[in-house]
Amino acid sequence: MTSYRLSKGGLIDRTRSLSFKFDDKQLTGFSGDTLASALLANGCQLVGRSFKYHRPRGILTAGSAEPNALVTVGADGRTEANTRATMIELCDGLIAKSQNRWPSLEFDIGSINSLLSPFLGAGFYYKTFMWPAAFWEQVYEPLIRKAAGLGRASYEADPDYHEKCWAHCDILVVGAGPAGLAASLTAGRAGARVILADEGFELGGALLRETESIAGNPTNEFRKNIIAELADLPNVTLLPRTTVFGWYDDNVFGAVERVQPHISQPDPYRPVEKLWRIIARETILATGAEERPLVFGGNDIPGVMLASATRSYLNRHAIAPGQRTVIFTTNRSGYKAAADLEAAGLEVAAIIDPRAAGQDTWTGKARVIHQAVVRDAHGGKNLTGVTIEANGQAEHITADALAMSGGWSPVIHLACHRGAKPVWSEEKAAFLAPQNLQGLRIAGAATGMELTEACLGDGSIQACKSLKILGFKKIDPAFTPIEETGYRVHTLWQVRNSKQKAFVDFQNDVDAKDIELAVREGYGHVELTKRYTTNGMATDQGKLSNINAIGILAQTRGVSPAEVQTTTFRPFYTPVSFGALTGHAKGRNFQPVRKSPLHDWAKKNGATFVETGLWYRSAWFPRKGETGWRESVDREVRTVRTHAGICDVSTLGKIEIFGKDAAEFLNRVYCNAFLKLPVGRARYGVMLREDGMIYDDGTTSRLSDNHYFMTTTTALAAGVMTHLEFCVQALWPDLDVRLASSTDQWAQMAIAGPRSRDILQTLVDLDLSDAAFPFMSAKPVTLLGGQISARLFRISFSGELAYELAVPAGFGESVADAMMDAGKAYGICPYGTEALGVMRIEKGHVTHAEINGTVTPYDLGLGKMVSATKPDFIGKAMLSREGLNTADRGQLVGIKPLDKTKSFRTGSHILSKGAAATLENDQGYITSSVFSPTLGHMIGLALVKNGSERIGENVTIWNALIHEYTEAVLCQPVFVDPENRKLHA
Amino acid sequence: MPDHTFVHKPALAGVRYGSFGNKTAEGSGIRLQACSESCLLHVVGAPDCGDLGSILTTNPAYSVRIAGPIQWFIVSEEPITEDAIRTLEIRLGERAAISDQTHGRIRIGLSGSFASHVLAKGTAIDLNASQFPVGRSAMTLIGHITVNLARIGHDAFELIVLRGFAESLWDDLIHMSLEYGVDCIPAQQDKKQNQPSMA
Repeated sequence: MTSYRLSKGGLIDRTRSLSFKFDDKQLTGFSGDTLASALLANGCQLVGRSFKYHRPRGILTAGSAEPNALVTVGADGRTEANTRATMIELCDGLIAKSQNRWPSLEFDIGSINSLLSPFLGAGFYYKTFMWPAAFWEQVYEPLIRKAAGLGRASYEADPDYHEKCWAHCDILVVGAGPAGLAASLTAGRAGARVILADEGFELGGALLRETESIAGNPTNEFRKNIIAELADLPNVTLLPRTTVFGWYDDNVFGAVERVQPHISQPDPYRPVEKLWRIIARETILATGAEERPLVFGGNDIPGVMLASATRSYLNRHAIAPGQRTVIFTTNRSGYKAAADLEAAGLEVAAIIDPRAAGQDTWTGKARVIHQAVVRDAHGGKNLTGVTIEANGQAEHITADALAMSGGWSPVIHLACHRGAKPVWSEEKAAFLAPQNLQGLRIAGAATGMELTEACLGDGSIQACKSLKILGFKKIDPAFTPIEETGYRVHTLWQVRNSKQKAFVDFQNDVDAKDIELAVREGYGHVELTKRYTTNGMATDQGKLSNINAIGILAQTRGVSPAEVQTTTFRPFYTPVSFGALTGHAKGRNFQPVRKSPLHDWAKKNGATFVETGLWYRSAWFPRKGETGWRESVDREVRTVRTHAGICDVSTLGKIEIFGKDAAEFLNRVYCNAFLKLPVGRARYGVMLREDGMIYDDGTTSRLSDNHYFMTTTTALAAGVMTHLEFCVQALWPDLDVRLASSTDQWAQMAIAGPRSRDILQTLVDLDLSDAAFPFMSAKPVTLLGGQISARLFRISFSGELAYELAVPAGFGESVADAMMDAGKAYGICPYGTEALGVMRIEKGHVTHAEINGTVTPYDLGLGKMVSATKPDFIGKAMLSREGLNTADRGQLVGIKPLDKTKSFRTGSHILSKGAAATLENDQGYITSSVFSPTLGHMIGLALVKNGSERIGENVTIWNALIHEYTEAVLCQPVFVDPENRKLHA
Repeated sequence: MPDHTFVHKPALAGVRYGSFGNKTAEGSGIRLQACSESCLLHVVGAPDCGDLGSILTTNPAYSVRIAGPIQWFIVSEEPITEDAIRTLEIRLGERAAISDQTHGRIRIGLSGSFASHVLAKGTAIDLNASQFPVGRSAMTLIGHITVNLARIGHDAFELIVLRGFAESLWDDLIHMSLEYGVDCIPAQQDKKQNQPSMA
């Protein structure tokens, strides 16, 4: 026989029938069911195949520790593998499939592994598949991985979305069982901001399976009343379906909320999951306890279930586990299950109790057999009976269900996530959380308590303690604490002499013999046993198996579990989907988009954009008929060199520097002199790191006596700002200097080319003649009769007569349009970062391709800029290090091919002519290379050993990746207008 | 060229406007409002500047936001003339400098009964009215984007964001609001148009 639904009882809503599919079989359940309870109601006890031996597996628990009933839910992009059937809220249209079976759950070819199981113990693979070594990755591992396994992930994109959010509270209560509800009620009534989170879709925890009355009310009514009161309190937030999965520094908790169930068409405007980061002043851990399975032969046969799960399915979901249940228990839990089964009119075949008589009162019909164990369970895909052993005598009992309880393990995972080690309690036969955890208290069954009333009282008291610390005045425990007595614990880590495999870890197919083998082979340390046997790994992380494994380890090693200790507790408590961790930040939302104020101007002029960090920069502006980017870029460069061009340089970092010590400040952060820069002038500056290497470069202009304007490279805008802030705040707090980033305030455009002055002069009110506004001038200006105030700088990256005009960002597009109109007569064209790059290489200007963190000003030929007279500047001390001044350092040179038709690539290395292509002969490398439309051939910049002394030397460019060799000559790094006539035109 | 008139283009000119997401009988739960780019000044204090509150709040039209230690944003619905800025500069003297960020930082209004729920998806600030009352402001992150967040009413907030990120933040805020429904409203006629800006 199989499990079935009783005609009455339970907390399900029988008026709401829900239809779902399991392995293509159409089934129905009720609102209030989990997938697991609905499957049991339909008699589906076989729900999966085990990881290694493909043994038939059923439903073992009614909660999040479920190791067996892992299914794949959803379809296509909504496929979610390895989902615990016990945690899935049944909904209409749910699709679920069993896993790790082929061709079907009923008939699984992989179950042949079960026949081979005597040979497949722990460490088998490592010992057996050692030769030949090369076969491991190529043959053995792929085969083993194919045979073993869980569900398969979908390769389709998830059509739904996930979100993250923050929450704050005075008291976070984790777990909505009796202790959690009592704590929440006590804190809520006192006026504290409370968040109550529980992993179940129905709040109540262990109360959901209880039938006894509490404070004169039936349990369910009592539970509902508390929840109703909590829901009415505006300072209490209830978070059902929310698993608190980790405790992090500063009392921050991670939690994941399942916002929408697994329906085929979720609400498109709500996330399916929400990742909460909860910042709590105080926390009460009321996470309850996990019932331990017993380790005996065949304890994994479908039909064998934890006693608490049997009660949960019976009392909450009105499910009979079978026709005839046998109970195997070391504690009161089994007796409660037996009582509930008999109360529901079901037959209990026997209660098998390893303890001597007189421990628990039993007034029911079932026979109690003391000092007895279940040695083996029998059956294949369903339990058919058990063999018990009492007083050395074996007896067969026919049964189609077995409820077992080996005691309780408090759920203390969160308490140990920040390094605390659990403490073994002989009295409770359990690991408990250590005392005095800052900001976190443990309440109820999580401390080892058993009785509901005791848990209610303890939850109340712990809440009172937290409220007192938080300074609340009106503190009144919701329930009176009671002393718990009579909790008798008997440990039975494993049943000896079982004929079949006695599983410790169901999910990883680890049996008791594997643990003993690990000890024999020298892997007896708990962390080594875990790795050797895989006990405690995978999706359930040993929630049911770890303590039993520790018990067996302790027995085998002849020590106490206190000495064995536990493996390390780490987040996550239960699996968290990648989607929840990713949240909204995927696809095009992976990172924010940062747009220049000239973005739309560039777009309407046909720009092709390139992502530069978060910025979208215009790279080139293709025109009709141009067949590739090179053609467009070459045309842009030629136009700028002969006429004029306009380029968006708004992305450069811009920093306003104020204060009467600003000049001194700049003098210290740049290696060149800035003290005497006159108002109205700009200067190129090189900024070093403390180690003497160049950090960044740019121009800084003096706009008034105590106001400077610094530009940085696009890439290091934020870095330079942070660096300057550090200098102001930490290095020289005595200087009167204030900084403000103004990168986004200005739309900045470069107007370059021999006709740039003519074009600008039509817009700018100031006289721009060379005499009135010479090279490196920097002044506030107005445009078109004072319509707009702007800043104009006569600086050049291209080597041409050039200006940079900064206008308030909102007017950027309009000014750029006007510039294009004004420039039409002069042949202006927009140009992008590619042409910008070509022209700077032609002019020998460096950028971060050369300023790569390993070069000094001397290396780049900027040695003359380094002030010899300044008393100090950042990098000065280290710049004088011997190693930074040796002749064989890479020094900046130009390079061009001897045969002008030949090409070469950035990153290629330089060899002396005739030298063998080896790294020992490496002379340096190409930092930038480009086709120069001005010269008609490739040019490059390179860092070459002692390069400045080797101008004119013939060398070989070696591209080892494609075995390309190009004969070339080292030259001065300035290819165009070395006399700077254009700049000063 | 002399007859060319420069036109101001709001940073949020090209974003999505209209209603998105779920709706209740009362309509959308969130209102997302592009604000006018009229005036925003960044005031940077000297280390020993003391409390500048009394100076910065002289004009009742100014709303002052905390932009970091001894840094403030002054926000005004009306453009502030260059003369007014000069006057303020004189009053502040060496205690603080002013950087005009009217174009560099964009204001976005977010209001509605679920406003704090939406913002909690982005910011780690405790938005409970007891912790973040009306008038309070702070620098924070909304997801990956730095913003200055101010509570201007019980269910009304204003976010100040760098211009380059304004479109991206707008999109994020719509997405964050979908479950409550959101009405996205453009700014009124921009009063900044053709006003000279301080250089």
